Amino acid sequence: MNSDLVLSAVDVKKSFKTPDGDSIEVLRGATISIKAGESVALRGESGSGKTTFMNIISCLESVSSGEVFWLGKRVDNLSNSAQAKLRSGFMGFVFQNYCLMPELTALENVLLASRILGKCSRKEIDRAKDLLNAVGLSARLNYLPNRLSGGERQRVAIARAIINSPSVMLADEPTGNLDEDTANSVMNMLLELCKNNNTALLLITHNPDFAKITDREVLLSHGEILEVR
Amino acid sequence: MPWWLYIAFKQLFPSGKIISFFAAVSILGVALGILGLFGTQSVMNGFHAQIGEKLRDTTGDIIIRNFGQPIYNHKVICERLRKYPEVDRVETVAKGPVMMLHRNVPIFPMLRSYDTVKNETALPLKQKNYVKMGFIEDLDDDSIIIGQRLAAQNGISVGDKVEIFSPTMLDKIKKDEVPMPSSLEVVGLLCTDYSEVDSNVALVSLRRMRDLYNLGDGVHSIVVALKDGANCNEFSAKLYSDRKIPYRISTWLTSNEGFLRVIKMEKVMMSLIIFLIIIVASFSICISLYTSVLRKTREIGLSGAMGARPYQIALTYCFQGLFIGVFGSLFGIVLTMTILHFRESLVELIVGREALIEFYHFAHLPVKYELNDAMWACTFAIVLCTLAGLFPAIRAARLKISEAMRNE
Repeated sequence: MNSDLVLSAVDVKKSFKTPDGDSIEVLRGATISIKAGESVALRGESGSGKTTFMNIISCLESVSSGEVFWLGKRVDNLSNSAQAKLRSGFMGFVFQNYCLMPELTALENVLLASRILGKCSRKEIDRAKDLLNAVGLSARLNYLPNRLSGGERQRVAIARAIINSPSVMLADEPTGNLDEDTANSVMNMLLELCKNNNTALLLITHNPDFAKITDREVLLSHGEILEVR
Repeated sequence: MPWWLYIAFKQLFPSGKIISFFAAVSILGVALGILGLFGTQSVMNGFHAQIGEKLRDTTGDIIIRNFGQPIYNHKVICERLRKYPEVDRVETVAKGPVMMLHRNVPIFPMLRSYDTVKNETALPLKQKNYVKMGFIEDLDDDSIIIGQRLAAQNGISVGDKVEIFSPTMLDKIKKDEVPMPSSLEVVGLLCTDYSEVDSNVALVSLRRMRDLYNLGDGVHSIVVALKDGANCNEFSAKLYSDRKIPYRISTWLTSNEGFLRVIKMEKVMMSLIIFLIIIVASFSICISLYTSVLRKTREIGLSGAMGARPYQIALTYCFQGLFIGVFGSLFGIVLTMTILHFRESLVELIVGREALIEFYHFAHLPVKYELNDAMWACTFAIVLCTLAGLFPAIRAARLKISEAMRNE
């Protein structure tokens, strides 16, 4: 296996049981490899299984068959607890709906990822401030999420995802709730932060323009990953 | 601080606010439960202690009786009793109901003797200044000291004359003799603040009481006051085992056993009923935390995605229940002590002092704080609140991260 690879999934299959007892095969042997610092856009129709694929490669969901590797180590067969421990330092997440804790300020939300990893020293606090400064929120450190705009909330979420310097960032339609200008600004920020931190990015998006500015573009179709670019 | 403890604190005390609405209401609910429970227990303890003290003060620690007959060898018995190191004072007492006539209005008080010759009593009449508008030393064979409420109810004042008819006068009537009542002057008022005594009892000299009851040299009972720290039950058992007192020996505890047991039972029953308030409060906490879990499903999912373990997510909610229990209990104790500090004004405002005297025989609402009661009330509240947090905690811990993240 290539030592540059930070994340790979080989021949991943996933099927779900419907309430009627039938089986639906969402993934039919999807395979992907992502190198350190590389940005990859994953596109596909609604319901094609993009989020399921993202959940599987982040071990939030189990595979029906196939293998998932993080930094060359197989992880799909580990216990939930071991996966959770590895995931906290290895991956960052950004979602369409921000998922910020409403009772925490912007700074506290960013630091939460560090706290879960068991680190919250002066160094982490300074880094969180630097990251919020980098995403243009230095004046909003102590604002609660309900006082931030959608774009600002997503920038806080991005800062939170990057604070532990993860090897991979998974972003599931991070600009889905934003207007065009804000979406462009957030996307540029996300790519820049990932590049600066040498963090690989798997970006799920419907927007072809955003897909174009990534290093690579893949399509999830009929349960398989197809290289587009 | 572990992140789950931090989040638990933040959900109760969010940044930018002193306290969340949920936490404030929950803590207040628990505090009110503790106020109800600990407050009631403290007042009931106060009644128990106060009634106990008044019973001791008005009946003595040990009472020796001759199975309904007078005691004639009381001098010997008193001498024997005085030899015990536990004994402080010994008094020979004659006591019984009489009819008292004041301005042709009949009253039926209980008359108790006071030895004016020895000027000694087992009751703390002087020490606690129970005689008002006069002095116990003023009492002689032609005078009487009347309970303050008894006097007030019948318009008797110091200096008034009252006539006393005793049950033994019936014997004279049977023999066709004309009984002559004893005419006594009121020289003081008995004010123990215990309405059972103040509205029923009057004091006369021992000689007068013997005369009224045809006792000769006899007495009805011997009353013993023990020194501080002496246990009346142990001393009573000692007297029985020594076999030096051939009479029935009872303590103020055994004499009033039924009454004291009723007060204790009342405390237990009231506590059980008020426990329900805390149970209701804990249900509210459970519902609120459960709603919080449902509302924060996505955030909980994200915590899982960021590496939080299910048990840590569960602890977040369990600790919220625990915090509410602890803070609510502490606030409840402070609230109880604050409100009971102003109890006299509250009693005056809510029920009136007369109602207190009428139903509870006291002019002041007594309170006695017991650490044990506070510990039980707080432990109960904290355990219930923690359990209330457990159910939502289990629900949060069982959430599948991937499904939680898709939650709408």
